[in-house]
Amino acid sequence: MTLLDLIDVHRTHGAGETAVHALRGVCLAVDPGELVAVMGPSGSGKSTLLNLAGGLDSPTSGQVVVEGQVLAGLPRRRLAALRRRRIGYVFQNLNLLPSLTAVENVALPLELDGVGVRGARRLALASLDTVGLTDQAARFPDELSGGQQQRVAIARALVGDRRLVLTDEPTGALDSETGEAVLRVLRTRIDAGAGGILVTHEARHAAWADRVVFLRDGAVVDASGPLPTADQLLGAS
Amino acid sequence: MSIRHSILALLRREPMHGYQLRAAFEASTGGTWPLNIGQIYTTLGRLERDGFVRPLPETESGQRPYLLTTAGESELVAWFDTPVERAGRPRDEMAIKLALALTTPKVDIPAVIQRQRTATMRVLQEYTRVKPAAECPEELPWLLVLDALLFQAEAEIRWLDHCEARLARHPVQHPAPPSGSTAPAPATVASVKRS
Repeated sequence: MTLLDLIDVHRTHGAGETAVHALRGVCLAVDPGELVAVMGPSGSGKSTLLNLAGGLDSPTSGQVVVEGQVLAGLPRRRLAALRRRRIGYVFQNLNLLPSLTAVENVALPLELDGVGVRGARRLALASLDTVGLTDQAARFPDELSGGQQQRVAIARALVGDRRLVLTDEPTGALDSETGEAVLRVLRTRIDAGAGGILVTHEARHAAWADRVVFLRDGAVVDASGPLPTADQLLGAS
Repeated sequence: MSIRHSILALLRREPMHGYQLRAAFEASTGGTWPLNIGQIYTTLGRLERDGFVRPLPETESGQRPYLLTTAGESELVAWFDTPVERAGRPRDEMAIKLALALTTPKVDIPAVIQRQRTATMRVLQEYTRVKPAAECPEELPWLLVLDALLFQAEAEIRWLDHCEARLARHPVQHPAPPSGSTAPAPATVASVKRS
């Protein structure tokens, strides 16, 4: 099943002559195993797109569908539950609660959702294992490097059976090699069956995605997928 | 690319014949710049003429290995000690194309920029896709070459973003055509401006 489907989504702020058309007829689907990068200059609609995809904002027209459920049709309580259970977020900073250890941070969304402490911890440790941080589980965020913190955030975003991850400049504050390691972890989780959107202005980061969507003035102007074979570029390798 | 100096560098490891040099070069650079055997023997001939390499007796299989001479060693040291000059590199076709797009009637400049951006993005995706999953020491030379290609492609995309932003601030008005000719519609970059 498609994890996320934006169907002819428009989002307008205000009305009349002063109306700002943040998104204009955007269509975008994310399947399991797929990472879609969204690029565009400031004000092109990237953040609006991410907020709509995560159910934090509603479209003026069009539909946002997460794992088969149309968000606009859900009562507020069920929308909140769907956001907790189905969607993970990774941002540039302010990702982790400083007073909780890594494993407690990862377990938190499950506990908020009513999973027992022991079960949540077991799932959290399993998720930390997928990002290679089992041995850091008991550490607090300020005892972890920036790259490790972002890996914890990825583990939390995809803990339990959550499969859709929405990320906004997740490597923004990291040096290029650490940032690459974080993207590699994200890529591995996506390849294992998750799906996600990566909002970034760095082409080198967007290159980790299966597709790159370019936004201009709230509309998709182009999309780039990979070539059929790498040999075309890399000679006889 | 300096085939001359690459060959000198490879011969510092040990004497090698042409086919060994080709294999060693491609192993180091991941086959990014394939060399044909003719290029290698032509270059070896010139290096021998300049006194930088010396032929050894043929092997039983009829291959002639070459040895790095003292003069060749000095030439190699000088190469590593000297930065590569940017000025001597080939002309940048995309920069020329964009500069001419600004002064040529009937060119959709934002479309030219976006097409290039999409094409270069695709190249960047492919380079990223072939990155080895694990970084082992044997892969390191090839990874550095791949990183160079990645950063160059990224630089082009950043430059295109920059051009687009600059053009959005300064819409292009093409010069009026000579009287009597068909006047094309003035091209603008209005479509990249935020409405």
